[in-house]
Amino acid sequence: MLTFTLRRISLFIFTMLVLTLLSFSLSFLFPGDTVINHSGQINATVSELAQLNQAYQMDKSIVNQYGAYLTHILNGDFGQSMASQSPISKEIIELLPATIELSLVALLIAMIVGIPLGFIAAIKHNKTSDHVILSLAMLGYSIPVFWLGLLAILVFSIGLGWLPSAGKISLLFEIEFVTGIQFIDILLSDSPYKWQAFSNASAHIILPACVIALAPATIFIRLSRAAMIEVLAASYIRAARAKGLSFQQIIFRHAIRNALIKIIRHVGLQFANLVTIAMVTEVIFSWPGIGRWLIESIYQRDYTAIQGGLLVLSCFIFIIHILTDFIYAALNPLARGNKYGS
Amino acid sequence: MAREKIYLEEVFPSPFMQLWRIFRKTPVAMVGFCCFILLILLAIFAPIISPYSPVDGNLDMILLPPAWHVDGNVSYLLGTDELGRDMLSRLMYGTSLTFGLSFIVVFFSLVIGVVIGSLSALTRGIKSSFLNHFLDVVLSIPSLLLAIIIVAILGPGISNTVWAIAIVFIPQFIHITRYAVKEEFRKDYVLASRLDGASNFRILYYSVFPNIVERLMSQATLAQSAAILDIATLGFLGLGAQIPLPEWGAILANGLERFYIAPWTVYLPGLAILFAVVATNLVGEGIRHALKLRKEN
Repeated sequence: MLTFTLRRISLFIFTMLVLTLLSFSLSFLFPGDTVINHSGQINATVSELAQLNQAYQMDKSIVNQYGAYLTHILNGDFGQSMASQSPISKEIIELLPATIELSLVALLIAMIVGIPLGFIAAIKHNKTSDHVILSLAMLGYSIPVFWLGLLAILVFSIGLGWLPSAGKISLLFEIEFVTGIQFIDILLSDSPYKWQAFSNASAHIILPACVIALAPATIFIRLSRAAMIEVLAASYIRAARAKGLSFQQIIFRHAIRNALIKIIRHVGLQFANLVTIAMVTEVIFSWPGIGRWLIESIYQRDYTAIQGGLLVLSCFIFIIHILTDFIYAALNPLARGNKYGS
Repeated sequence: MAREKIYLEEVFPSPFMQLWRIFRKTPVAMVGFCCFILLILLAIFAPIISPYSPVDGNLDMILLPPAWHVDGNVSYLLGTDELGRDMLSRLMYGTSLTFGLSFIVVFFSLVIGVVIGSLSALTRGIKSSFLNHFLDVVLSIPSLLLAIIIVAILGPGISNTVWAIAIVFIPQFIHITRYAVKEEFRKDYVLASRLDGASNFRILYYSVFPNIVERLMSQATLAQSAAILDIATLGFLGLGAQIPLPEWGAILANGLERFYIAPWTVYLPGLAILFAVVATNLVGEGIRHALKLRKEN
């Protein structure tokens, strides 16, 4: 396990270096002056500009420049937003938890719905229910997410009036910002309307989370179906059947556990996909998350914000990736060997 | 009666023909394939067959519902939008933008990806290992996110979207070609032609490519369905096709303000995207299914 951890950490550091290098080079690729793209101070005076040039070591070689940039990033200084002139790190700390909350809820929904359906399809392999589930899955990942979001608003918010269509929580509730994750903040607050706020927040999250969850859920259906078919064909299942175990015992005691392990490996990769879908969905549902903020910074040509947002978002995706790797390795001793290291 | 063939000739169909024979027998895949062909024809001939211009509006016919509605007009089969532009014509022109461009994008990245991938499959050592790691990092970033970043660098617009998506899709073609070529090079028939004195490029062209073409096609259909969704999403976000281009995602975004009074301006382009993606996915599923069956035989 120790070698495994060391390998993951070195991979993490390497990838972070590549990502910072990418965001560093974006400053040169974007239009405008490099140091202003780095810092986001568009209204800087001559003396401030000289100071910035000094801080980012613009007069030295490119390696020194990168070093200076990296120092700034490591100190949590992503520069200022060109549009609002407030520090980007502060904006990100406020917005990122909302995205984390939304995408984790969506991931949970996708797994709870997708994995059992995939198992059912695998158990009924090549029968009608298998075909129905597979066709639904294909339809599910063909639907454009923005269209689905709009239809969901039209049906559930405007037509039936069941669920709110925009935002994180009704403005009536005043929740103090502690962690940024709405549900935890509500539970921590000592407001007398705690439970009303909680149910209001859950009503707000259901619609966007379900819209995001659809495409990953269909992928989980396919993954879990393939995993289950593979497990059911394994010889230990045949041995269990030969011992005279009932079908339910085989499925619940042996097959599901082994199939689940195979699926967990793919969660990290799927998460990257899910976060992109979440970015678009945040725009539609006016969810105050980092995806909507990033897309708005593109409209406003806020290059410093684009860099910071990209860096934080891909860092977040990568951390989830590594976390699932760890969970997988903890559950499956076979994976701890060198085979899966890179 | 003239007999052209005197001897009974044994014909071995090429791997591609074998695949086509299996593919033809799956009805669902054939339906998808026909829809796919229809979309291609529509993309090419949209300017000829569309009844009205996609950008010029008829101000007497604003927000006309589709023809099956009580207030509909049969000369505007799918209704009109807020400027009196015919939805049917806009959707037809949109086929060549959303679907046609996605086809071109995928073809372009396929060609570049295959060239780089097969060259890299022939190299060994540090260059190859570096490429491998680099590809792994690039492939772990979602395609839409990367496309959004590239559009942010290049600036919004349909041509920049096309470039961005083409660049985003190249790595996955490099990856799959590399693996497929490496796998084929280990097989005995390659060794046989190498013993005949064939050069690497000759082997690649005459022996390896005919055997991996269907795997590349299967990847291409996957990439195309993603490309359609990406072009439409970027159009919807206002980063891709700009007003008044009739790109499906842009039409949908355009109808957003009148979503409640004129829902057809939103659900029709959405259905068009769904139709195109389902058709592409059906073809892809058909190819993968046929590949599996051919392997089992």
